[in-house]
Amino acid sequence: MRQLLATRRRCGRPVALSVAIALTLVVTGACANSKDNGLPGAGNSGDSAKAYDSIITGSPVADAGAIQAGSWADKIKQRGFMRVGGTDAGPLFSIKDPVTGRLTGFDAGLSQMLAHYITGGKDILKLTKLTITTVDTREKLIQNNSVDAVFATYTITPERAKKVAFAGQYYESGDAIMVKKGNSAITKVADLNGRTVATESNSTASLALKKFAPKAKVLLFTEDAQCVAAVQQGRADAYVLDQGILISDASTNKAVSVVGQPFTKEPYGVGVPHDDAAAKKFVNDWLQKIYADGSWAKLWKATIGSIVSGDAPEPPAIGSADGS
Amino acid sequence: MHIILSHIGDLLAGFGVTIELTLLGFVGAVILGTLLAVFRVVPVTPLRVVGAIYVEFFRNIPLLALLILVIFGLPDVGVTYSLFVSATICLALSGAAFVCEAMRSGINTVPVGQAEAARAIGLTFVQSLRHVILPQAFRTMVQPLVNVFIGVALSSSLAAAVGVSELTNRTQQLNLKYAEAVGSFLVAGVLYLLLAMTGGGAGGWLERRLAIRR
Repeated sequence: MRQLLATRRRCGRPVALSVAIALTLVVTGACANSKDNGLPGAGNSGDSAKAYDSIITGSPVADAGAIQAGSWADKIKQRGFMRVGGTDAGPLFSIKDPVTGRLTGFDAGLSQMLAHYITGGKDILKLTKLTITTVDTREKLIQNNSVDAVFATYTITPERAKKVAFAGQYYESGDAIMVKKGNSAITKVADLNGRTVATESNSTASLALKKFAPKAKVLLFTEDAQCVAAVQQGRADAYVLDQGILISDASTNKAVSVVGQPFTKEPYGVGVPHDDAAAKKFVNDWLQKIYADGSWAKLWKATIGSIVSGDAPEPPAIGSADGS
Repeated sequence: MHIILSHIGDLLAGFGVTIELTLLGFVGAVILGTLLAVFRVVPVTPLRVVGAIYVEFFRNIPLLALLILVIFGLPDVGVTYSLFVSATICLALSGAAFVCEAMRSGINTVPVGQAEAARAIGLTFVQSLRHVILPQAFRTMVQPLVNVFIGVALSSSLAAAVGVSELTNRTQQLNLKYAEAVGSFLVAGVLYLLLAMTGGGAGGWLERRLAIRR
């Protein structure tokens, strides 16, 4: 007993600490590596950054008469920047360069264009102030006026349209299927029945799966990279998400491939306050302007177009989605 | 609110998974943690070092990082457990570090004089441990162990991030479809509260039962 109790002296603490630190370093190192999926971010360096900036600053600016005193847009103009809800970790759509702090991508670019349209500002970094939103917080942040607008691959749905108003749609995508290379058993959405399918927990793809492949077993992960890893490691037979994102994953990861054509239509809209009809009309008018003068197509080419080959598609018709 | 009511079965099923994760994770943590606490007090240096390294590592690594390592790292070396099993293992591994320290501090609260007195009146080593040291030590461990239980229950929600369809995960799914974040998380919060308070209540009952009437 005496021995049992007499062992409170120091016991190799420095050793334990240094081992713990070493292990942590290994762990974080490994995470950093697996994160580096080499996605070409739009406009990360030098010339491409200038090209990206010139697309934003070259887009239209509102006439003095277009902004009514006291309106949604006027408040943004008085403030000098727009409070945007979105993400800083969405490849192609809205991703932040950790070194320069620049936010680029299709959604980010559109938010900057809208802020430029309202304020006329030329400094990209000062046009918008980003609040990170998730699926759980988007509606609330608009409702309680924490942000002016949400640009966040925000699929327009009738349920969400009861809480917020959607301007747009400004982009239409669709869910496609990714499988491990060499898997020929899955070629269309019906083949997913009875199989394990991974998808992102914050995307509407899991709802689409319930509809198109009700017998699929769905695994929900928070991040794109986790879903790809699940397919690669055989934990899931397939991964279902927006086709553009899957193509960009498959372009950097040779172990997986994208099969078939999109089986859903995902209309993306700009979330604005529900009771402010003028705000929705203002954003829709602006969308028409950037459709017409080619800014929308240029931004598409600089962001999504860096992964998807071919010219920019025709912009989707505004107000055509159920809920917009 | 009627959306939550019409999906209450789904939420309760998720709550069931949360309870399973919590109970299995906590029981695993107590078993492993007790073993580690023994490691840390025995007069055998290698065992003490093993115990110390374990505690320093698993107490200081975020549970989410551990979950991601086990779920996405291990398959790369050919070990694949199901998501539920992986999450349970992580909760037990992480909880064990805290259980170990709670147990060790409990044993250390009993003054050396008690052990010496027990030996002096002729009790054997095992008898003095069973009748003198552990009953007093356990009394002081109850509340720290309740803290670990609550910690395991609440951190089981991190398993939602790696695809285990427990309470938080199902709440997020419900919100994805119906955009009712506040209402659905309120319900989930109440369920977590119930689970944690049940643990706290059981601890209080145990503590009263073990109290010494002086």
